[in-house]
Amino acid sequence: MRRFFARFANLFRRRAAERELAREIASHLALIEDDFARRGMPPAEAKLAARRAYGGVEQAKELHRDARSFAWIEQRFQDLRYGARNLLRTPGFTAVAVVALALGIGANTAIFGVVNAVLLRPLAYRDADRLVTILHDGAAPVAAANYIDWRGQNRSFEAVAAAEYWSPNLTNSNPPEHLTGLRLSQNLFPMLGVEPMLGRWFAAGEDQVGSDREVILGYRLWQRRFGGDRGAVGRPVTLNGESYTVVGVMPAEFKFAPFWATRAELWAPLALGDRVNQRSGRSLRIFARLKRGVSVAQAQADMAAVSARLERQYPGTNRDVVVTPLKENVVGKVKTPLLTLLGAVGFVLLIACANVAHMLLARTSDRQKEIALRTALGASRARVICQFLTENLLLAALGAAAGLVLAWWGTRALVALSPAYIPRVEMVGIDTRALLFLLAITVFTAVVFGLAPAMHASVRNLSGALKEGGRGDSGGARRNRSRGILVASEFALAFVLLIGAGLMVRSFFALSAVDPGFNPHNVLSMVVSVSGSNEAPAPAREIFYRQLLEKVRALPGVVVAGGINHLPLAGDLWGWPFVIEGRPRPRPGEEPGAVYRIAMPGYFETMRLPLLRGRTIAPSDDARAPGVVVINERAAHEYWPGEDPIGKRIAFHYDARTPPTWLTIIGVAVDARQYDWAYKPDPEVYLAALQNHEFLEKAEYLTLVVRTAGNPGDMAPAVRRTVWSFDRNLPISGVLTMDRVVADATAQPRFETLLFGIFAGVALLLAAVGIYGVMNYSVSRRTREIGIRISLGASRAEVVRMVVRQGMLQVLAGMAAGVGGSLLLSHLMAGLLYGVRPTDPLTFAMVTVVLGLAALAATSVPARKATRIEPMVALRSE
Amino acid sequence: MPSEGADRIAVLQGTLDLIVLRTLETMGPQHAYAIATRLQQISEDLLHLNQGTLYPALVRLEQQGRIKGTWGKTESNREARFYAITRAGEKALAEETLRWRRMSGLVEKLLSQGA
Repeated sequence: MRRFFARFANLFRRRAAERELAREIASHLALIEDDFARRGMPPAEAKLAARRAYGGVEQAKELHRDARSFAWIEQRFQDLRYGARNLLRTPGFTAVAVVALALGIGANTAIFGVVNAVLLRPLAYRDADRLVTILHDGAAPVAAANYIDWRGQNRSFEAVAAAEYWSPNLTNSNPPEHLTGLRLSQNLFPMLGVEPMLGRWFAAGEDQVGSDREVILGYRLWQRRFGGDRGAVGRPVTLNGESYTVVGVMPAEFKFAPFWATRAELWAPLALGDRVNQRSGRSLRIFARLKRGVSVAQAQADMAAVSARLERQYPGTNRDVVVTPLKENVVGKVKTPLLTLLGAVGFVLLIACANVAHMLLARTSDRQKEIALRTALGASRARVICQFLTENLLLAALGAAAGLVLAWWGTRALVALSPAYIPRVEMVGIDTRALLFLLAITVFTAVVFGLAPAMHASVRNLSGALKEGGRGDSGGARRNRSRGILVASEFALAFVLLIGAGLMVRSFFALSAVDPGFNPHNVLSMVVSVSGSNEAPAPAREIFYRQLLEKVRALPGVVVAGGINHLPLAGDLWGWPFVIEGRPRPRPGEEPGAVYRIAMPGYFETMRLPLLRGRTIAPSDDARAPGVVVINERAAHEYWPGEDPIGKRIAFHYDARTPPTWLTIIGVAVDARQYDWAYKPDPEVYLAALQNHEFLEKAEYLTLVVRTAGNPGDMAPAVRRTVWSFDRNLPISGVLTMDRVVADATAQPRFETLLFGIFAGVALLLAAVGIYGVMNYSVSRRTREIGIRISLGASRAEVVRMVVRQGMLQVLAGMAAGVGGSLLLSHLMAGLLYGVRPTDPLTFAMVTVVLGLAALAATSVPARKATRIEPMVALRSE
Repeated sequence: MPSEGADRIAVLQGTLDLIVLRTLETMGPQHAYAIATRLQQISEDLLHLNQGTLYPALVRLEQQGRIKGTWGKTESNREARFYAITRAGEKALAEETLRWRRMSGLVEKLLSQGA
């Protein structure tokens, strides 16, 4: 122990210890010398004899140092100082290497920061890995009666809870606001293991009809509408014209639901009432907590048995019930893109490593003499390798420091640029885990790019290296081969990355070329919430809607206006089964179905959604006129193949007990992209809003669409004023141009393409710098040879050809490997691609050309330099 | 650079400390050269070591507090570092000697019987 401290202390008093040692050795030598002299030796001889008797002074010093202190640590300090001096001596090399590494390390850390926050971190609920959803097909909502039965009959779950979308209007408050919230079964928050920040959670029994007028606020809503007043708890609020009591406030970081209704900021009890017996009208999302020790697969098997039993009892109500881990639902959609991006950025790092590695190899060749000298002076092979690794670690650390800055900046840029689709993006940042990752890849990087050069660095043939004056190429062929392989692998990696980027770009173009069916330019849309307004009764609503449209149409600058329940690409889809007149009644669950839209007169005209046959919904299609419906092309093909659907009749909500309400098909519209930009549209029906009693009575909001002559955004204030001229209490939200809606729908592929493009660009640059560096070095090493060739009559063109051929050979070998790698890897991103296959020949051809040209440009610079070699100067040099 | 000398030292390493301590105990404070000479004498030149290789043992012992070095003058008026055994060193020497005796006795017994 005592010795440990002494050694430790000696780390810091190296200089004093060294002086002491030198003094002692000198005294020792003097004493031996005296002795020999006493025996009658001449002084000069005595001195030599003393040296011999003493042995190697330097080795003795080394032994002393080993014993004196922690030689290992002391040597690392030495190596570090020495390495720093070396790096400073070649600032150009250091700068290029640090930039390459910073790009690689920084980009990796930034993307890892996103992956970490979005994919790796658990959801912010207690034991979140035991939380699951139980939904039809893993996504579609569930009917109330099924929820009750599943809850009662399963054997896998500790708790089963339900949530339902709820978007009330906050009225009697200025300005009125359309809010997004959820109605929750009373056990839901306790199941999540969360507590309100203020107030309390709903008590048992408060999810009964009549006692459900309570609400818990989200932190932001509380800040926005209550100024963060702690006294808000217990106060009444008016939602949809009814009075609720605030009973609690959730903490700022709380979020529910984590998928689907992600913007929810208030929660009320879910009172099912008589719905407990309903097996149609699917509107509940079911969340559950697995019992300890029960796996998702076991729960799935259990639910399969439960739902099979219910399906026999109530046919058509319990199909495709899927248990999914909650986290899978949250991040499932972004998992593949994010992991693909992480892979891509990993490639960038590997390319950067290869780049630095061959630069280091070249440096190592130039440092042969130094290495030989160090070996001669007693450095072991391990010590030389260690010195090189230290230098590399220093280089990597510099790269990492610069990379950290880049990552910090990059993460912020990523969050700012990222479209809203990335869940949990607000949690992205450089945290401890990201820093550990940075550290790990830094060390990994230093070893990867440093090991090969370090291995080459230690030489066995000492005198050869010393004699050749540092220019000699002992082991040079081996090193050249290593450099060639490194450059080739850079091109292979860059090729794969460029293929990835190329496919993304092609896919993005294909997406941009998609015809949405309507014309989104010059269209303004906004959501007008009507529930809770004074215009409640249905006939009054009809008049209000008509007058509103008329008044908006009359505004200067408005071409035409219409309305619809849900805007294409911006809303949820609601599918309904229907029956076709004159056809046999289908079995339950097998009825034809269609996405159900409710349109105002003028909608088709405003959206420029053309009709293939028949007519559009007119103002005259009201409650007094016969029921009408417009279907889309897909529905016509699906349900009336080879027939003219115009004049046929269909009915929704078919019930054997009441006579059906038949709707006559009056038109066939082209398919419009409704749900997802990349999905082929489903069969759709458009019902006439002014004759739909249920819509007039119950609809909470209407989406107004206005086609304008000029910039649609400029019309927003005028349209808003027109709405408020009817009722100042009507909340208006979602004021968007259709162009913006379309841009949002393609935001994810645009974002991914952008990132992929950046990474591929960096890869291309690094690869080009790499081949340039290798060829430039090769030319400078071969100055004499090229000089001789020129003096023997080689033409400039021949010299250029020779250099370019040498370089392109490596490039082509790498690109050939890249083709193989791309074919192996590109199918992994098939899920990200639209309208282009992963083996798209055009992309492969383009990438080959681009990469080849870049390589050619990069090699032509050193080739040109080679032709400028003056034979006489070259021969005299060295 | 490693040489055969290193092998000899390695054999010696365990005992070198013991020998140094014993030398200092019997002869009083000595400088490194005197210790090395003494070593050579008693080993009757069987043990020929480079004198520089004595240093690790001296450093180790000093750091363990078993010897203490001070600068002084030799009879020939040269300056040298004299090492003296400490109280702790004497204790350690007694223990090490005992252990060594036991060890060598065991080896001896083994060698004479095992044949």
